Amino acid sequence: MSTHPMVPGEPTKTGTTMLETATAAVQKFGPINGVHQHLCAFHFYGHDMTRQVEAHHFCGHQNDEMRQCLIYDSPEADARLIGVEYIVSENLFMTLPDAEKKMWHSHEYEVKSGVLFLPGVPGAIQRQDLAKVAQTYGKTIHFWQVDRGDNLPLGLPQVMMALTHVEKRFNVNFDKERENRAYMKGLEHGIHPLANAGGKGLKTELREVDCHGGAGAHATPRVFV
Amino acid sequence: MASTEGREGQTPGEGMTMKDHLLTKGAEMLQSMKPIKQYKQHVCTFALYSHDMNRQIETHHFVHRLNEDFCQCPVYDSDDRAGRLIGVEYIISDRLFEALPPDEQKLWHSHYFEIKSGLWVNPRVPETVAKPGLDIFAKTYGKFWCTWQTDRGDLLPIGEPALMVSPQGEVAGMVKAPLLQQRDEKYALSSTKISDLRVDITGPTFKNPNADYWIKHGKGFAIDVLTAEMKKITPFP
Repeated sequence: MSTHPMVPGEPTKTGTTMLETATAAVQKFGPINGVHQHLCAFHFYGHDMTRQVEAHHFCGHQNDEMRQCLIYDSPEADARLIGVEYIVSENLFMTLPDAEKKMWHSHEYEVKSGVLFLPGVPGAIQRQDLAKVAQTYGKTIHFWQVDRGDNLPLGLPQVMMALTHVEKRFNVNFDKERENRAYMKGLEHGIHPLANAGGKGLKTELREVDCHGGAGAHATPRVFV
Repeated sequence: MASTEGREGQTPGEGMTMKDHLLTKGAEMLQSMKPIKQYKQHVCTFALYSHDMNRQIETHHFVHRLNEDFCQCPVYDSDDRAGRLIGVEYIISDRLFEALPPDEQKLWHSHYFEIKSGLWVNPRVPETVAKPGLDIFAKTYGKFWCTWQTDRGDLLPIGEPALMVSPQGEVAGMVKAPLLQQRDEKYALSSTKISDLRVDITGPTFKNPNADYWIKHGKGFAIDVLTAEMKKITPFP
C-alpha cells in the first residue's frame, strides 16, 4: 500500500506490512522511543554555501549536554532520512581534539536569527530550550543529496554547516522572532576559531586502503629495511 | 559546572533536571513526530569497518520501510533507550542495486550471508514470523556509514564517517566468536540453531561482484575530510 513519490520501488506488499505490524508490536525500540523533539533548521554543504537543505531534526537527549538527531527532508511519514546531527554543549566541545573541531558548527546565529525553531511549540516554551541550543555546537553529516535530485542515497557522506552570519537567501521574515530571542546569551567563550571549519569549506573524498583481515586472517607480513 | 568525565561507555555531560524533562515532555506532546513513528522492526546484526576489518561491532538497526524495495535504518550500539546513534544504513532490493553505476555499487554490501548464518536476528520475534521478511532481506544490499566509533572507546562522535561492510563467508569477513557469543547470550538465542532453520533462504538471483568490494580486491575505503574552497555564489546561468 505504501509507495513513495520520490523513491523508486514497488509499493509495499500486504504481507510485508502485516509482518511489520507484528514486529512493531513485540520488539523493543529503546533509542527510537528516546527521540522526543522536532527541530527545523537549514544546513548547507561544507564546500558549497549555495546549496541549502531544509533539515528536520528529530532529537533525543543522551544527557543535558548531548543530543543525537535523525535528519529528515520533511516532517511527514514518508520523509527521507538524509543524515544525522550530534549536538554538544560548549563544555563538551572544548574537550574535542583540535583536529576534530573543524567539523563542528556553532548554533548561536541560527537560534538568535530565528532560523532554527521547534515546529508546533509556543514561542515562550521553545525559547527555553533554544536558549540552551544557542550555546551548543553541532556535527552534521548528510548521506542523501535530495537537493540535487538524487532519488537514492548516492555518493559520499557530506559534512554540513549551518548559518553563522547574515544570509539574505531566505525570504522568510524572521524579524519578530529575532527580537524575541535577543535576550539569549551566546557561547560563553565566543565562537571557537577552529569551529565552522575556521571559515573555510570542507569536502569529503574516498580513498582505497588495505583492509586488515578479520577473525581468520593472519597479520600482514611486514618488511623492515 | 559541567561534568566532562564520562563513566565507561557513558556519554559525558550533566544529567537533565526534572524541569528539563517536564519541558521536553510538554513540547513533545505538541509535536507530531511522524517520521519517528514509522519504525516497525528491530534487527540485531554485525558489521565490520571497511578500512579495518579486525574491528567488528554489534549493531541495532531500526527499520523504516519506504516501499517494497527500499528501507532506511538509523543504527545504534544497543536497543536500550540510552543507545548511541552510531550511523545510518540504507537497504535496497537487488533490482534497485543493479541499476546503480559500478562506482556506487562498490560502496554497498550484500546481506545474504549474515542472514543465512543466523548473525542477523530480529530479537523477540519467532523465527516462523520473521522468515518471510528474511527471504526479502536476503536479496538486498546495504550501504552503512558509521558516524560514532564507540567500539574504540569514543565517548563523543569523533572522526570522519566510516564505511562499514557486512560479515561474509570469506576468512576476513568472519565475526569473532566472543562478540557473537556475547550477543547470543544477551538475547538467549543460538545463531547456529537459527542458521539451521534458514537453509532454504536464497540470495539474489545474481550476486553482483561490485558489492562486497573487498572480497575481490582486498581493499576497503576510508573517507578523508579536507579543507576546500567554499563556493559562495551560484553562477549566473
